[in-house]
Amino acid sequence: MRRTRAWLLRLLGTFAGRHREQELAAELESNLALHIEDNVRSGMPPDEARRQALIRLGGVEQTKESYRERRGLPSLDTLLQDVRYGWRMLHKNLGFTTLAILTLALGIGANTTIFSWINSTLLNPIPGARQTSEVVSITRGGTVNEPGQFSYPDYLDLKAGSKSFSGLMAFAFRPLDLTGSGKPERLWAADVSANYFDVFRVRPVLGRAFLPAEDEKLNGAPVAVLNYGLWQRRFGGDPHIVGRTIFLNRHPFTVVGVAPPAFQGTMTGLRTDLWVPVMMEQETMKGYDWTHDRGDNELMMQGRLKPGVSIDEARGELTLIMQHLAEQFPDSHFGHNDIAAYPLWRAPNGANGYFYILLPMLMAIAGLVLLLACANVANLLLVRSVSRRREIAIRLSVGAGRWRVMRQLLVESALLALAGGGVALLITAWSTGTLASFIPPTSFPMSLDVRPDRTVLLAGLAISIATGVIFGILPALRAARLDPVAILKEEAGSASGGRHKARLTGALAVVQLALSLLLLVAAGLFIRAFRRAQQTDPGFNPQHVILASFDLFPAGYTSKQGHEFDRQLLAKITAMPGVQASSLAGTIPLGLVHDTEMVKLEGYVPQLREAMDVRSDAVGPDYLRTMQIPLLAGREFTARDDEDSQPVVMVNQALVDRYWPNQDAIGKRVWAQGHWSIVVGVTRNSAYDQLNEKARPFLYLPLFQDYTSHPTVLARVAGDPMASVPALEKAIHELNADLAVYDVDSLAVRVEIVSTNQRLAGTFVGAFGLLALILATVGIYGVIAYSARQRTREIGIRMALGADRRHVVRLVLAQGLRLTLVGLGLGLALSLVLTRFLSSQLFGISATDPVTFAAVALSLGMVALAACYVPARRAMRVEPNVALRQQ
Amino acid sequence: MPEKSDVWQGTLALMILKTLESMGPLHGYGIARRIEQTSGDRLSVNYGTIYPALLKLEQEGYIGSEWGLSDNKRKAKFYRLTRAGHQQVEREAKEWERTTAIVARFLAPGEQS
Repeated sequence: MRRTRAWLLRLLGTFAGRHREQELAAELESNLALHIEDNVRSGMPPDEARRQALIRLGGVEQTKESYRERRGLPSLDTLLQDVRYGWRMLHKNLGFTTLAILTLALGIGANTTIFSWINSTLLNPIPGARQTSEVVSITRGGTVNEPGQFSYPDYLDLKAGSKSFSGLMAFAFRPLDLTGSGKPERLWAADVSANYFDVFRVRPVLGRAFLPAEDEKLNGAPVAVLNYGLWQRRFGGDPHIVGRTIFLNRHPFTVVGVAPPAFQGTMTGLRTDLWVPVMMEQETMKGYDWTHDRGDNELMMQGRLKPGVSIDEARGELTLIMQHLAEQFPDSHFGHNDIAAYPLWRAPNGANGYFYILLPMLMAIAGLVLLLACANVANLLLVRSVSRRREIAIRLSVGAGRWRVMRQLLVESALLALAGGGVALLITAWSTGTLASFIPPTSFPMSLDVRPDRTVLLAGLAISIATGVIFGILPALRAARLDPVAILKEEAGSASGGRHKARLTGALAVVQLALSLLLLVAAGLFIRAFRRAQQTDPGFNPQHVILASFDLFPAGYTSKQGHEFDRQLLAKITAMPGVQASSLAGTIPLGLVHDTEMVKLEGYVPQLREAMDVRSDAVGPDYLRTMQIPLLAGREFTARDDEDSQPVVMVNQALVDRYWPNQDAIGKRVWAQGHWSIVVGVTRNSAYDQLNEKARPFLYLPLFQDYTSHPTVLARVAGDPMASVPALEKAIHELNADLAVYDVDSLAVRVEIVSTNQRLAGTFVGAFGLLALILATVGIYGVIAYSARQRTREIGIRMALGADRRHVVRLVLAQGLRLTLVGLGLGLALSLVLTRFLSSQLFGISATDPVTFAAVALSLGMVALAACYVPARRAMRVEPNVALRQQ
Repeated sequence: MPEKSDVWQGTLALMILKTLESMGPLHGYGIARRIEQTSGDRLSVNYGTIYPALLKLEQEGYIGSEWGLSDNKRKAKFYRLTRAGHQQVEREAKEWERTTAIVARFLAPGEQS
């Protein structure tokens, strides 16, 4: 207790102000005065009295010093001294300091940038929700590209039968029109079970969330919760919005709440504009009762685990229930029925399905960049410590402890690292935003709000401190081991420079070369993968195609009227100048939504429990011509394939290969949509979800036989597709002025969106690689130049003894070559071992692609040798008599 | 040096506390002088060493200080015992007696066991 009190007072005393000093001086002054008086009284002459008093006191300054030591905490005092001294040293050497800080800032900045992305995606998947680590995303079979979904009756059975969850909710992501006041607007809505907000512990800022009763009666709950952004934008933040009526797909809904600003829905990276109860789907969006249809799988599920329940237990429980359902209702469950459960940081529905591999990978690569930066700065410090050897030797010989010397150097390193970290955070403030800029401007409801927050700041600080220790420890240890006597005696160093130090800096140069080779190989692989992704033929021609969507359902069209509308629209668009071909489709390749059909195929007997769901699309006449998908056999749909004619379908080559190998598919029958159709055409395979996907079976249904109320119109035009947008919108509005035209994009942008990952990785890893190249070049140049300078005398002696200049160049280059070869060898070995971890993100390129490896090793070797050549030439020009006379 | 000063610091603290106990509030010079006299001038130290010791005792809360006037009207800083200081004198004195008793037994001739 007394100890603590004294310690606290001393801590305060460290920062003692001037008045404490003055008080001490006054006290000692009064002591002397009293003593002198006594002495005078006992008969001394005044001078002698003063002298005696001073002697007995033991010196004013000494007393003050020991007093000060007691007043403050000596260790803190000296630390502050170290900081002040370190600051002066760094200030004196501005060139070195700037270079080191810049290097560290780039290295640390790379890490804080990637970390800020991880922080706002993987670590914080659903902004505005609480304890998301307990929430899991549940899918049925499927993969990241194709998360399997659930029917409403199955959801109810799973919810009722499972005991693992404190809440299990279901939702579907669905576009709808906000009509009524003003221009109709297309919104991305989610129809959700009533417990949706409760499962994520989201409380509306205004009004309420949904009530259990709103989950019960079909069409019985026309209520909506608004996204905060929509409320602000469309309704001007009206404080009386709760209770107001809005029109969704022309149906009246009452606003009951507004979600908190941060909450954007439960799929990472996607924005939901508003929420309505799942019970309202029939009337407003689908036009038929699907709540009893076990074959209508459109719901995603997410649930909050009860405390202590593991994700595997929950998955096992749901799988059991699902198996029962599949046995009970075999007709509607011939798809995949295994349950998969994912924590949100790698949930397949949303951006994390892609990011959870990519971002940690980028983080690891950024970590390598930082290591490289550390090696570089450590080398700079080692080289610089030569000019400080005398300073350190003097400090050691006048009694500084080795720990004190080490601490001094570590404090300087920490200062450098913190300065680098500060600059890095400035870089991060700008660079975090670049994540969003990799997503091209599009109609997709993207919402990636990436901002450096407190966590990022703390991480930056931690990274900086660790960095300071990593690069500072070696030079500090070396300095502490210096032998002051030897250094002060030899004064100028031996003829050829310290052997040990040369070995250490050489080793650091080798590490730098190896690391940068690894980084360059990674960069090369990603860039080649990205190039290949861009050059991949998706199976259609994405250039010069414009897309636009509209929805006839909320406008009240029947299917007959809808077909008529579609026909007239196609006639109008085909007649537009510059339009080469146009068509309609239910879904567009590389989009957010897709369709699946459960099929039977003539002559093919499915195995037990084989999933017979095939990806499908309803397309209009001229679809293949517009997309430029080659037809391999038969014909494509025409305007005559309508409701009154023979039902027909087209299939792709992959479907033929899978189900009818070595057979003629034309004329075979396919059962889909509740009836048999005849195959009239076979198309070449093309991409549907991802550019690099494996070819999968695909079924084309004729749009004029299989009605879709919300089709996308596509037109192949001459020139810039975006230029034809006004004419396209005008054509639609001439037929119905009230239709909302949405999802207007060029097809090429869709291709860009699905290659976002490759572009992101290519750009960043490429930049990291460039940084690595620069750092390694500077590193090896520094080492060779330094060692050549150290050997100036040796070279002078050699030349005086008759060595010619070529010999000298060879001498210096040989050292560089040796380091380079060792570095490259080590780097190649490292790369061979490590690049395989990148293979999942490398598109169409082997992780050990020999072209990349060879090209990178060769160019890095050449750059390294070039960096050695400069000091070699300088060494060549050494004048022996000048070199020998030095010192 | 450190070990020796530890002992010295400990005894010096006790001497200061005891001096303040018997003499009442006193300034630094007075305390040093008094210690010198009490020891019969056998103990001759630099007066300067008394100030860090006073500071330590003050930080630990055993003594307090305030500026005042000396007998011959000089400004000086006076130290006095606090309540905790009075208790500390007792404790330290007992501790000291025990220690010296033990040491004395070691030093007493012919009584090794």
